[in-house]
Amino acid sequence: MNRLAIALWNPIVAKEYRSRMRTWRSPLAMTVYILLLGGVGWAIFASTAATARNSFNGAQAANYGQILFLWLILFQMVLLAFITPALTAGAVSSERERQTIDLLFVTKLPAFSILWGKLLASMSFVILLLLLSVPIFSLVFLFGGIELDQVVIAFLVTAVAALTLGIIGLACSTAFKRTLPATVSAYGAAFILLAGSLLFGLLFPTEINPNATRAPAPPAVTYLSPILPLVVIGTNGPLNGYGIRNGGIYPMTQGGGMACSAGPNGTQSCYMTTVPIGKGAFGQPYNPPQPSGTTIPSGLFSGWQYWQATVTLQLVISLVALILSAILLPPIRHLPWRRRDRGVA
Amino acid sequence: MITVDGLTKIYGNRTALDHVSFEVPKGEIFGFVGPNGAGKTTTLRILAALLEPTSGRALVDGADVIEHPDLVHDRLGYMPDFFGVYDQLTASEYLDFYASCYRQPKARRKKIADDLLELVGLTDRRDQAVDTLSRGLKQRLCLARALVHDPAVLLLDEPASGLDPRARVEMREILKELQTMGKTIVISSHILPELTELCTMIGIIDQGRMRATGPVHEVIRQLTAGRRLRITVLGQKEEAAAVLKPLSAIHEVVMVNGSIEARYDGDDAAAAGILQTLIAAGIKVSGFSQLEGGLEDAFMKATSEDI
Repeated sequence: MNRLAIALWNPIVAKEYRSRMRTWRSPLAMTVYILLLGGVGWAIFASTAATARNSFNGAQAANYGQILFLWLILFQMVLLAFITPALTAGAVSSERERQTIDLLFVTKLPAFSILWGKLLASMSFVILLLLLSVPIFSLVFLFGGIELDQVVIAFLVTAVAALTLGIIGLACSTAFKRTLPATVSAYGAAFILLAGSLLFGLLFPTEINPNATRAPAPPAVTYLSPILPLVVIGTNGPLNGYGIRNGGIYPMTQGGGMACSAGPNGTQSCYMTTVPIGKGAFGQPYNPPQPSGTTIPSGLFSGWQYWQATVTLQLVISLVALILSAILLPPIRHLPWRRRDRGVA
Repeated sequence: MITVDGLTKIYGNRTALDHVSFEVPKGEIFGFVGPNGAGKTTTLRILAALLEPTSGRALVDGADVIEHPDLVHDRLGYMPDFFGVYDQLTASEYLDFYASCYRQPKARRKKIADDLLELVGLTDRRDQAVDTLSRGLKQRLCLARALVHDPAVLLLDEPASGLDPRARVEMREILKELQTMGKTIVISSHILPELTELCTMIGIIDQGRMRATGPVHEVIRQLTAGRRLRITVLGQKEEAAAVLKPLSAIHEVVMVNGSIEARYDGDDAAAAGILQTLIAAGIKVSGFSQLEGGLEDAFMKATSEDI
């Protein structure tokens, strides 16, 4: 067996699979997961079917398909945000509480293998849940409006977000001796990642620069949340009205503001009511560039797809959390700055 | 096989180990005794590369526990004083799991588990869930777990604690068998009579300091001042005591369970001289034997005063 195979299939994985699948909790978790997701899918499906009975055409069907997909994928993300930290936050701390961790440390398994095994076992369960949800997601193809690549990318974003939450949970489990504080901190981190970053976009939005030639984009921090790319993928359109401060409240003007109005074709027209610092003149219409497509129009990730930015940021966080866990876990840490002269008496 | 040299461990302002040094040659059973909190577990955890010493060195079969913990883990089996077991695993699966953690080939793992279950007398429990085993059986299973990679050294931290007398005897028999297999064993225990019978070497630790170390009988001899004679006479105890007390070699004469116990200085010739004196005084001696101080005496002596 080569090194990769050993790393991927270490004894911890086999043991965790065996232990997990022999309890009633796993089948119960899977059943509840499917029932909840199926319930939401059924409710949206029933609602849209009732609406479609009255007036139905091809374009509306596509719209219904998008709505159903968006609800399902967002609900799935929220469900996994609840499940994943619970799977990993106790992975290491429960070994400590059960007094089995020393028995693992004295084996030939390196600390990273222990972490990797725990992570792989937990993530396998998440992947299993994702696979179980595929038949429910196939409902959206009854309506259309969603392409297969959208589903695949949405699942990728969800899986990476779950992986990130899992690794953060594992880091919390390594950092805290007890499972309770590890679980609380893992859920706190999950909340910050999913909702906190979105809240940041609301509290500290990007201000419209009248001189900009590109449409404004939400602050880069907001891309940490998987909700943003999932909405973009689900609607298959630009992200409007979030993370941007507009409407002439804080234009780069001197003494006055801006007046905006929506045009008949959906564009926004803004009029300078004062002397601006940048382009435009008093009383002249000012049309800030509008985002189009599913790419990030400006900023640090300009030209990237939203999902690409989110996946990249989350993988970076995951890598940092994993390295941190690998440093924290071993009973004796071989850190360069902790080297000291161990005198022989 | 095991070298501990000036091992010191300081937690905050408390010194758990204070320049502890000892050596255990290959094939010996080293009994590590001391009161609670003396530093036994700390020493064993350092030897198992689970704890970093503040200073000093510890080598297991030539491998430094800090520099080469992987080599140390390869060469020793460790059984902690408190340990847990996993739910949902049978005894054979439990051993198979640890054998795979020690990178034992899959083809050999079943045989390893079967052999070890037989060694510790758990063959009939191979399919029983480990969390349903009694404490004694878990102790035996944990000992088997420590042996899955056939280590040369065994570190056993209180392996007999909490066991009933029968389980203790069985554990002792297993350890004796391991000794015949050539294992070097370090065993910490509070049960001193068992250690006397089982161990070839002993170390007495108290308040983080090694009070005495060496072969069991040598340590006992060092720590129990003088030698003792047990003399049984036919109805002339008072007369015999009166004969013994004036002798310059005799320190103390006491009556114990109908016999006379006399503490004296000197060698076997001095003992022979005492016997001759008694016979010459007309005392009818029916029993005359040398008593060796017990480990309990040595332990009490070592842990009750600074040496």
